[in-house]
Amino acid sequence: MRRVLWVLILALGLAGAQTVGNEPPPDLPPKVFEIAKKLRCPVCRGESAAESNAGVTEEMRRQIAEMLAEGKTEDEIIQYFVDRYTEWILYEPPKRGLGLVVWLAPVIGLGIFGFGLYSYLRATSRRAAELEGISEEELARAEAELGRDDEGGAPS
Amino acid sequence: MRALFGVLLALAIGALFWWGMQTKDERSELPSALAGRPAPAFDLELLPSSREAWGERLDLSDYLGKKPIILNFWASWCYPACYEEAPILEATWRRWKDQVLFVGVNTQDELDAAEKFIEQFGISFPNVYDPRGKVGIDYGMYGVPETFAISVEGRVLERFAGTISAEKLESMIREVLP
Repeated sequence: MRRVLWVLILALGLAGAQTVGNEPPPDLPPKVFEIAKKLRCPVCRGESAAESNAGVTEEMRRQIAEMLAEGKTEDEIIQYFVDRYTEWILYEPPKRGLGLVVWLAPVIGLGIFGFGLYSYLRATSRRAAELEGISEEELARAEAELGRDDEGGAPS
Repeated sequence: MRALFGVLLALAIGALFWWGMQTKDERSELPSALAGRPAPAFDLELLPSSREAWGERLDLSDYLGKKPIILNFWASWCYPACYEEAPILEATWRRWKDQVLFVGVNTQDELDAAEKFIEQFGISFPNVYDPRGKVGIDYGMYGVPETFAISVEGRVLERFAGTISAEKLESMIREVLP
């Protein structure tokens, strides 16, 4: 009975741990976190304003909530932060200018890799096809010639 | 030929990695959206220690366009950076106070801790209390300490992130003086 109780407590603890951090705090609507996810935390590395617990991101989320309550659109709210921090504040680089390079680089890289792989496979299969087209007689003659070269060409 | 191409490709990838490792993400090198633009105004309650000399509140728009301003964001929890620059700020303010206004913005702090900090360094320039850190976001602040130089026309000329040195502060003052 006691073992069952411990298992139950452990299971409940794990379930609780799973939800911590995934759910937005009850005082802010999920839309706030949706927008905050698109903004960088100014004082962290690799964290969005939705994930970070830094003081500045708490205030960013509070301001997003206030602007939503005022009826501002998502684009207007994001622009508000861009006006203050430049496009650096965007969690994902914009799909234009230098930011476009970041978006296209993986596609270009994949294209180059695909082309290289295709060229290599084509060359290999062509060589194999060439070998298949050679008759037994030709092969025997080539081998004999190679043998003769080896004998004649070997240093004395 | 193919081997040479392989070596060049490996060198190019290596150089790219090396460059990536060298790229600094120093806050002082991050862009400021405000450079050359009008400084955002704010109207905030002053810390109790500033009230006797400066009144209950400080409205920055009363000074913008009239006097050059050095705006410094700080917090008592910002250790050691804010503690290192506090004596420098106070000494420089005493030297230049006839020509430049210094304003401190205490950011996301506890009132008692902020007052203790002011007392510890004998800060005599006005300091406003911004427990939410709203003004910091208006200035595109990355983190405390940060210092902004505002011209007599009320435009942000420069932003400095991190502990400010006496030399840097003097150069910012010379930049904002008419």
